[in-house]
Amino acid sequence: MGRFWAIFFMFSAFLAVALFVVAPDNGWWFPEDGRAHTSLGQKIDDLFYLILVITGVTFVGVQIALGYVLWRGAAAGQDPQAKSQFTHGSHTLEVIWTIVPSGILLFIALYQMDVWAHYRVRTMFPKKMEAVAEVTARQFEWRIRYPAHGKKLMPTPQPDDIYTVNDLHVPAGHPVSISLRSDDVQHSFFVPLLRVKQDAVPGLVIPVWFEVNDVGSYELTCAELCGWGHYKMKARVVAESDEDFEAWKSKTAKEQFDDGFKAETKEE
Amino acid sequence: MSVIRTSIARCAVPLLLAALGCGKNPQAQFQWRDSTTELIPNASKAVQKTIVDHFGTPDELVAWDKLPVHYSRVTGTLAEAGASAEQFRIAWDPGFAPAELPKNNQLLWLSGANAASQQNVVNVDAAGLVTLEAPPNIWAPGDRVAVNFGDRMQLGRVVYMKNCHHCHGVAGDGNGPTAKFLTPKPRDYRLGYFKFTSTNSMTIKPTRDDLRSVIKYGIPGTYMPSFLLMKDEEVTAVIEYVRWLAMRGEMEKRLDDELTADYSLASIDASVKKAKDSGEKGASKSQLLKQANDDLKQYLAEDYPTTVNDTAEMVAESWTSADDPANVVTPSVPRVADTAESRARGRMIYLSDKAKCYTCHGPHGRGDGAATEDFWPKPGSQEKYANRGLHDFWGNPLSPRDLTKGQYRGGRRPIDLFRRVHAGIKGTPMPAFGGTVLKDEDIWDVVNYVMSLPFEAQSPSKAPAKALATTAQVEQ
Repeated sequence: MGRFWAIFFMFSAFLAVALFVVAPDNGWWFPEDGRAHTSLGQKIDDLFYLILVITGVTFVGVQIALGYVLWRGAAAGQDPQAKSQFTHGSHTLEVIWTIVPSGILLFIALYQMDVWAHYRVRTMFPKKMEAVAEVTARQFEWRIRYPAHGKKLMPTPQPDDIYTVNDLHVPAGHPVSISLRSDDVQHSFFVPLLRVKQDAVPGLVIPVWFEVNDVGSYELTCAELCGWGHYKMKARVVAESDEDFEAWKSKTAKEQFDDGFKAETKEE
Repeated sequence: MSVIRTSIARCAVPLLLAALGCGKNPQAQFQWRDSTTELIPNASKAVQKTIVDHFGTPDELVAWDKLPVHYSRVTGTLAEAGASAEQFRIAWDPGFAPAELPKNNQLLWLSGANAASQQNVVNVDAAGLVTLEAPPNIWAPGDRVAVNFGDRMQLGRVVYMKNCHHCHGVAGDGNGPTAKFLTPKPRDYRLGYFKFTSTNSMTIKPTRDDLRSVIKYGIPGTYMPSFLLMKDEEVTAVIEYVRWLAMRGEMEKRLDDELTADYSLASIDASVKKAKDSGEKGASKSQLLKQANDDLKQYLAEDYPTTVNDTAEMVAESWTSADDPANVVTPSVPRVADTAESRARGRMIYLSDKAKCYTCHGPHGRGDGAATEDFWPKPGSQEKYANRGLHDFWGNPLSPRDLTKGQYRGGRRPIDLFRRVHAGIKGTPMPAFGGTVLKDEDIWDVVNYVMSLPFEAQSPSKAPAKALATTAQVEQ
């Protein structure tokens, strides 16, 4: 009976490893095709895989050791006359299995530092960054303010600023930044396919930068529970070429300053 | 011992499932207006029967052909016969051609000799060739048909229940489960007023495009979100459903108004009181009720059907007139150049006795005018509101807009502000200035002034010309 349980636990460990092995190809790991669409996002994905390999190797090793112990114990348990072995612990073993994991953790902590800094530390942001828009999160939508064509984004609204709701357009191919604010409670600017996530905190204006590699439309969702409409607080991020972005901006500006006058009615 | 354990276990599973919310869904219901439930029972039943007969329930909608609602996605007019007796060429209505229809459609004849009969459809193509399973009895060119009748309304109902009803209520009464947490309250469609319209002051109803803008862009400063990412087909469907809910609500309200004077519980109580005060004999409540019921019976037999008909026609006409492009506010002149002079003129109009904007919006545009301190009467009565300040037609307190914030609920385009001033905001004390009080050029001056208010550096009393000139330089 003991052997059955040894096999049972080993089987579930084996199943877990097998599922992890097939997960990326089946699309169970990262969303959509599994690729991040920003260069920093790809570095973050590499870190994910590194940690997966480290923990995977550790997991397999530990499970093999557990399986061996279970199997031997099961075998020994058959004989009621067999003597037990008592141990008072092993200092050497304790030291080994404290130092080795700490070493691994220290390695991971130091290895990821530059990706973290490149993303979060303002002095390490890319030197050439275009401030594209101010994104204000509010219950339950995203209100976006762009500077007019050829102008820089100002911290306060300007008479010729362009406003949209739930529709963030950015030029692809070079670093851009948005100023993230909140009108009411905490929200979080989360674009999964770009691996961008930043909490919007009321009272703060937080710069968030990213460089989108691929032209396309990406889903932006709120990732900080903000009320009864949090589940539907979605927007779209459209990354397009510089020309398309400028063309879109001009078109939207024209619509926004539409005076509704139609030349044909002049005859009246 | 074991028997008891098994039977409890058998009960526990369905109980657990019920607790988890599995099981039959509760039926959605259209709530009745207070004015309906407060009629005398026979009158209340008459109104409810009329509304249920002509509008149905949320799960069983009724399409009333009197109303200007696009119930189906695919409608057209018979043009000519096709190759065989089962085939026809149909001229699809503009914007109503079949893109994707589910299999197993039915064609409903809307007019002509076959009217109200349905037939199975074998094939429909976008060019207009329809093949039926069996040839129809009689048909003539000009007959109206609909394929998959009612599919737009059904889609609208699904979209509405999924996205809208939790604030706006099942019947569009603005009192859904979430509404109690919201200020301002969600729109109650049943009054028949929508605030942000492009139609003129004589046309109460909005156009479909107005409703589309509200759904797509939301209303900033309120809890109406932007549904920019919703599919176009779903937006079109929910617009029809909301219009239909508004028509249903308005019908119910108008029928109640007809009957309330004589056949409501309040009127019976008033008659009892009047009789008691004047010392009339033999006028107890039950006698007056019986009298009212007898009068009502006669009324229902003779006058009521005409009333229902006329009310429906009036409601339908009010919505159809909004579709007339002549009723949309279009400026007769392009926007006056946004110069310091124009803004100064606009400011003069704002502060003049002609427009009196400052009485509500305040001398500096902060929404703190003297009208916010007065006690105002309720519409159509001498009674005043209990609290100071302005109210909308729904009875909610309403502050005049703080124009220095730069937040415009009906849209921030110059044409949107032009329309607010020209036609007013229906359902609110914001009056209409267009065509009578102010010329279009004057309105543009006011719009230029209002759009400059958020950027005014200091209060206008301090060197106003200088402040305006500085902001003018910022613009190209």
